[in-house]
Amino acid sequence: MKSEIITRAISLDHPKVQEVIKIAEEIMNSNKILNIDNLYHIAKRSLKIPRKGLLTIIQFLVNKQVLIEGSKYSKETVLSNRTRRNIYEFIKFNQAVHFSHIRKNISEDTSSDGGSSGQLIWHLEMLLKFKYIKKFKLGNYTVFLPTNLDEESGAIRFLLRDKLNKEILSIINSKKSIKRSEIYKILGEKREKVYYHINNLIEYDIIALKEKQDKEVCINPEKKDLLESILKEM
Amino acid sequence: MTLNWTPEVIADLCVFIIVIAGAIATYSFPQTRKIKSLLFIGLGMAVQSLLFLFEAIGMLFLNPLFKVLDGIFSIPGAILFIIAINYILKETYNSITLIIACSFGILIVYAAFLPDATTGVIFEAGYLTINWSGLYGFLGDLYQAYYAMIIFYWGIKTYLHAPILMKRDALIFFIGICLLPLSIVAYYFTLIDPSYIWLSDACVASGTIIYLIAVINEPKLVYILPFTLYRIVVKDREGNPIFDNDWSYSTINEKIFTGFINAVQLMSEEVMNMGGLLDINLEEGILIVHESEFITIGLASSKSSKLLRRNLVNFTYDFQKRFEKELKEYCTDMEAYEPAYELLEKHFSNFPKRIIPSKKHPLLLSGKHAKIPFELDNKLKQIEPNIESYEFLKTEIQKAPLCITKDFFTLYNELKNETDQLPEKEIKELENESGNE
Repeated sequence: MKSEIITRAISLDHPKVQEVIKIAEEIMNSNKILNIDNLYHIAKRSLKIPRKGLLTIIQFLVNKQVLIEGSKYSKETVLSNRTRRNIYEFIKFNQAVHFSHIRKNISEDTSSDGGSSGQLIWHLEMLLKFKYIKKFKLGNYTVFLPTNLDEESGAIRFLLRDKLNKEILSIINSKKSIKRSEIYKILGEKREKVYYHINNLIEYDIIALKEKQDKEVCINPEKKDLLESILKEM
Repeated sequence: MTLNWTPEVIADLCVFIIVIAGAIATYSFPQTRKIKSLLFIGLGMAVQSLLFLFEAIGMLFLNPLFKVLDGIFSIPGAILFIIAINYILKETYNSITLIIACSFGILIVYAAFLPDATTGVIFEAGYLTINWSGLYGFLGDLYQAYYAMIIFYWGIKTYLHAPILMKRDALIFFIGICLLPLSIVAYYFTLIDPSYIWLSDACVASGTIIYLIAVINEPKLVYILPFTLYRIVVKDREGNPIFDNDWSYSTINEKIFTGFINAVQLMSEEVMNMGGLLDINLEEGILIVHESEFITIGLASSKSSKLLRRNLVNFTYDFQKRFEKELKEYCTDMEAYEPAYELLEKHFSNFPKRIIPSKKHPLLLSGKHAKIPFELDNKLKQIEPNIESYEFLKTEIQKAPLCITKDFFTLYNELKNETDQLPEKEIKELENESGNE
């Protein structure tokens, strides 16, 4: 059997096709849901072309993927994008991460489409908008964290991701207080580097200078329990 | 000789004219002329029309022989319809229903030649008439009911499976088809009141007209049931995809789909020796792969089919002919092969698309065609020189809440400034923090 059903060739440049696209745009711009039903009825009213012809145009637009399946995102559907879901899972798993860290992970993730920085920032903005994640500024860094995590925990987790910070905090936490010079001696790292990290931790209020003993540092008593629980977890 | 002109004779002659005209119409319209199942339906209608003609002649001349013959004509008529329905539903002529119809038919022919097959000329409802009687009458009525059930089954299946863009045509078709079994029901009422024959004949005539209009208007209706087409992919000799089209969502795993096509390409010589065509049975459907000089085409469908294979071969031939220059130049730009959609229309236009599950299903304009404010468009182009990423963002903007674009650009600038200001060493450290876990 030969299938020789005659169909009139139409193209995207056809004026009626362009008019239907324009109507679809208008529907979307008016914040209404675009679907075949309303596109058909609105186009039928305004273009006055026969039903069959209009359906052929709509079918053609679907075939050519001018009209694609999809709707405005909701909290439930925003994670339907695989890359976005991977970013969210990554943030959820790592708890508090910097943009560079996410970018590197996503570019290495073969199951994601990768994408440019622009796309990555778009996904982050969507996750922020739909309150899957939040962000806060920690010094020079913008840190992303899941919404269920408070900023204080986020900050500690973010700082603990750095190996040296973690070691410094572990040492301080194991003692009531300790001199800075002792820390760098224990770690065997360059003094400037260790001091820089200690100063940062002081600045972020994770550790504090012991009163009357300027050179000794201790864990900020207000954050001690939290830090210990995070250290245990990590 | 006085002719016995009765309302029933006139009604039967009218139905004969309508049904035979319908049969001729199936051969007259170019869009239906070459559809095999419609060929059988047309033949079935032509034979069925003789039922009405012989019934009219039998009563007009008050000749019992013609009255007996009219019932016999219903047998080949029904058999041809069942063959057509089998072909539409299963792409084969045989079925149990056909065997039952044939066996039943033999019994009816036997009963037709029994002495009490007709009542002889009787006076009924003010007119002279002849009716079936005895075993012949009983079997004939039963046969009509059996036939009506099969037709109704076809009608309802077609309507339920019709894709949304054809739902209206399918509804018209279903209404037309429903009138045929209704005519049988009305015919049974003639046993109580002979005037119901008008209703019965009117149902046959209008049902025939309605379903034929639906089929002539949308011939895809007779392709709805046999199988679902999922996808077609064309790859060049190097394995680069050059054309891709989806008809409906399939559960066939993407890796399996492309993996098999790649495997077939690797053993192209063996496949070419087999005629270039290969059916691969997958759990979720079938993959038909066609190998030719320049291209390999994979077609995923719910079932294998002779029609599909033939159309695939023809499509391959036309594709190679149309894009010979591009293929010889090893062009891998998919846009260059976009006109292949016309070839798809030519060879696969009969198969309905099911990609959009319902009329109310939300749609979007793809990024390529969506229009966004000029200023926004410029900003997007600045941050996304890559055309694919730019179009992705355009599509996403349509799906996102209205206020998001402003926040997106703010976040973009914030993160860009931040990473620009951070020393490279620090960026590296931040990137590698995962290594510290």
